[in-house]
Amino acid sequence: MSTATDSARSGKRTEKRTAPAGARPGARATTWRGTDSASPPARTPHGRAETPAAPNRLRTALAGRPVLRRLLPLLAAALVLVPVAAALWGSGGWPQQLAVDVKTPLDDAYDWVVDHRETNPVFLYFLLHLSNWAEISVDAVTGFLLQLGWLGVITAAVLLAWRIGGAGLRGLRTAAVALAAFAVCGVLGMWEATMETLALMAVAVSVSVVAGLVLGLAAGLSDRFDRVLRPVLDTMQIMPAFAYLLPLVLLFQIGVPAALIATVVYAVPPMARLTSLGLRGADPGVLEAVRSLGAGPVQRLVTARLPLARKEILLGLNQTIMMALSMVTIASVVGAGGLGEEVFSALSTVDVGNALAAGIPIVLLAVWLDRTTAVAGQRVAEGADHEATGVRKVLHGRRAWALVAAAFAVIVPPGRRFLVEEWPELWVVDIARPVNEAVQWFTAHLATGVPVVGGTRVWADGFTTGVLSPLRDGLQAMPWWSLVLLAAVLGLLAGGWKAMCTAAAALALIGVIGVWDKSLDTLSQALAGVVLTLVLGFAIGVLAARVGWVDRALRPVLDVLQTLPQFIYLIPVVALFNVGRAAAVAAAVLYALPAVVRITVQGLRQVDAGTLEASRSLGASTLQQIRQVQLPLARPALMLALNQGVVLVLAMVVVGGFVGSGALGYDVVFGLQKSELGTGLAAGVAIVLLGVALDRATQRRPDRA
Amino acid sequence: MNSPTHDPTNPEHMTNPEHMTNPEHMMSNDRSAAAAPVFSVRDLWKVFGPKAGHVPGDRELAALPQAELRERTGCTAAVRGVSFDVHRGEVFVVMGLSGSGKSTLVRCLTRLIEPTSGTLEFDGDDLLAMDKDKLRELRRRRASMVFQHFGLLPHRTVLDNVAYGLEIQGVGRAERRARALETVAKVGLEGLENRRPGQLSGGQQQRVGLARALAVDPEVLLFDEPFSALDPLIRRDMQEEVIRLHREEGRTMVFITHDLGEALRIGDRIALMRDGEVVQIGTPEEIVGSPADAYVRDFVRDVPREQVMTVRRAMRPVAATEDATGPVVAPTATVAEAVEAVARTGAPARVMENGRCLGVVDQDGLLRVIAGLGAGREEVAA
Repeated sequence: MSTATDSARSGKRTEKRTAPAGARPGARATTWRGTDSASPPARTPHGRAETPAAPNRLRTALAGRPVLRRLLPLLAAALVLVPVAAALWGSGGWPQQLAVDVKTPLDDAYDWVVDHRETNPVFLYFLLHLSNWAEISVDAVTGFLLQLGWLGVITAAVLLAWRIGGAGLRGLRTAAVALAAFAVCGVLGMWEATMETLALMAVAVSVSVVAGLVLGLAAGLSDRFDRVLRPVLDTMQIMPAFAYLLPLVLLFQIGVPAALIATVVYAVPPMARLTSLGLRGADPGVLEAVRSLGAGPVQRLVTARLPLARKEILLGLNQTIMMALSMVTIASVVGAGGLGEEVFSALSTVDVGNALAAGIPIVLLAVWLDRTTAVAGQRVAEGADHEATGVRKVLHGRRAWALVAAAFAVIVPPGRRFLVEEWPELWVVDIARPVNEAVQWFTAHLATGVPVVGGTRVWADGFTTGVLSPLRDGLQAMPWWSLVLLAAVLGLLAGGWKAMCTAAAALALIGVIGVWDKSLDTLSQALAGVVLTLVLGFAIGVLAARVGWVDRALRPVLDVLQTLPQFIYLIPVVALFNVGRAAAVAAAVLYALPAVVRITVQGLRQVDAGTLEASRSLGASTLQQIRQVQLPLARPALMLALNQGVVLVLAMVVVGGFVGSGALGYDVVFGLQKSELGTGLAAGVAIVLLGVALDRATQRRPDRA
Repeated sequence: MNSPTHDPTNPEHMTNPEHMTNPEHMMSNDRSAAAAPVFSVRDLWKVFGPKAGHVPGDRELAALPQAELRERTGCTAAVRGVSFDVHRGEVFVVMGLSGSGKSTLVRCLTRLIEPTSGTLEFDGDDLLAMDKDKLRELRRRRASMVFQHFGLLPHRTVLDNVAYGLEIQGVGRAERRARALETVAKVGLEGLENRRPGQLSGGQQQRVGLARALAVDPEVLLFDEPFSALDPLIRRDMQEEVIRLHREEGRTMVFITHDLGEALRIGDRIALMRDGEVVQIGTPEEIVGSPADAYVRDFVRDVPREQVMTVRRAMRPVAATEDATGPVVAPTATVAEAVEAVARTGAPARVMENGRCLGVVDQDGLLRVIAGLGAGREEVAA
């Protein structure tokens, strides 16, 4: 009952110092925090002194400046520590004395692994089996899909989509999406690559779903397990996909097993998290009623908790599938094959046409998978098959499945007799050449030398020399301790002491492992990306929240953009801006923008309509409404948008290593391709640390919301 | 178990000693002596908070008012030393304002909330000593509960919701569906069997909740503010439904409510709670006619007394001079009914039971009851 006590306590306190009539609720907190420090400590309940024993004058000076008050201890500590640190180790980049060579031991470890792979029991009896199993299962599924032939796969996909979508228009629409997606994959000449990707996806998703369900179930039922799992999932969620690849390559070498396991690890968190969330979020009233009827723990789980969590579990499935698709494409760097491989090799020769030919199937797969799983979720939410009548009653439950199986049996075997299994050559359209010609035309006419406006590549160059380079040089010129201090300050302001320590420690560790300058380069790109994302995102978000048709027009676009794997964003930016840091930043902005816009719109929408109406009734102008009511009240959401923007931009800037953004991302790619594990792994760790530091520096503590 | 008559903690003695002479009260005591109570609750405590177990045993802490207790120990005593019996076949209403501990109390009865201390017997079985399996068995077959917010499973049809309790018991599909269908009909939900709870109105949903509790044919039905979430008109319907079910089946019911009108309408006996304590236990007539303290008096002030009080309260002995004429009323008749009879004939009415004349009610006596001046009348009834 400690929460009840707390709330009662604070309730009493507010009562004692009722804010002046007409004060805004937001202002009240500061009002009585001010009174708190000015009044004698005896007035606090329980006679506990809550004000620090600071001199009276200082206290008055700080009254009403909560930000300064919170930072005071940290600033005091910095005042002592910084001169000492600066005197000892200088004020330039990260001091050599504080760096540790991690590259050599890592390279040694790699050599050791290479030498002992054949002999060490851990490899022989565990990892090797895992690796074999991964290889075999993916091969089996690929073989099965290719055996089935294109007709079989398309028929199965269409029928499945129709069954999940249900009778009526929605089912037909889902089926149409499936048909279009697979047909285009074939037409673009990517049938085999698509099947490889699909097979890898199928295996990865099944394993992730099972693992996620088990973890989610455990976390949903046991508080202790939840406490252990939650921070792990939190960290996994801010880890860029890129960082997962290297350790797995170390263990499994380049190839399908590494890609598969990386995908599984990357895709498990949403399933586990949402399953646990669904189990915990079940209506307590229902659970109590079930208990009152004498249901045992297993009965409760099977008949009530799991069915009540169905919606969340399906959402988890949807997200897991999308994450897996994203990772499967990125994992092409470690030999996943399939569509990602095609994009990857095309991009490395700046062959936009071929990259697009492989990219479009990825987009279509994403749309197909997202639509199908989202529709399944919708139907569950609506209570699905209620009161089926007429035709729908026939197409209900098991009968519909039987119909699907029958249709498949009727169409596929005869079809395979007449048509070859492989996608017919005649039906393949080569889009690479026309696309490349278009890109060339674009490069020649619009990329440079357009009067007045310049051109896309001119902008990119300008952005690089005008923004990115000065920012990077500025960061690298800053004394190392000032950056650590800055991280600490931001962490303290955003999240409190724990966040402060984590943020500062993460940043310091980057220096310790010797990638300080490269990380600052990545950081400069991320910062530029975040600023651009937020400016664009908030502007679009405010517009969409206020203007109905903008929101309606935007929504489907955001839906599609949010489902796309990271890799896809690289294709258009390379066409527009060539390779380089500006391209990476542009891709990052594109990648992070949908989430930021969406959170902004939701935050603004949730602002109490009554408050907004009241301000309108007082004659507030549109700008006043936005500035004085909507934005302040939506602050928690905007902070969340900032946090998400930072995490997403960083993840994408790092992937930019594929298109010449240099810095940490390039080190990872380089490490992977040249087996320079030391370099790659150090960069990978730095990416994670940078992610943690940025996340903690921007993550608002939930209980202060 | 001690007989309630000799139990020093018996609430009937504790809270209302001056009414021992009340014939109605004597009667209820006689009945309890004849048949063992269904629930027998003695000195039951439920304390939430750190080291809750210390509070009931500690005389000093136990006597503290709620706010001070919280200040001292961080604990909240939701139920404080409550004792009562629920007799077979009666509707026992626990009523109180929100936060008075009544919902906690009813949950303690099947240990949905574990009581902190006290004794609790169900049909003579020690409920607090039951292990998990026995308790589960009790919940499955002997005591079912109806909840304020229904607690229906949204993914099941009405029929499957009603059959849920039977499913938990392990009854086969065909049988439980047949029994559920009967129950659905009993609460007037025919034709809605295949709907889902989300498609029903609040009143219909609560009928499903009621049917679910009835389907397992329990000895006792527990209601936790079942109609508080419903519109007034529908609430009225549902109350009548409960009264009808009780009349038809005679099932024992424990009914929690914060609505005094509801308590008076359906309760055979009412326990009035405040801050976790039972302030008074009695029939509606006793509560309204002889409030135990100022709190209860304040509570029942606006009750239309003539509809709750019986003629026993307005009765005076037959005077020697009176002849045996005038209208006849039963001792269980309300004052309102006697008023009507007296006004119609213009003469005092005789209260007759089994051919014996218990006393006479005249205009003066009736008016005194309606005005709330009934004191000084009861002793003659003995």
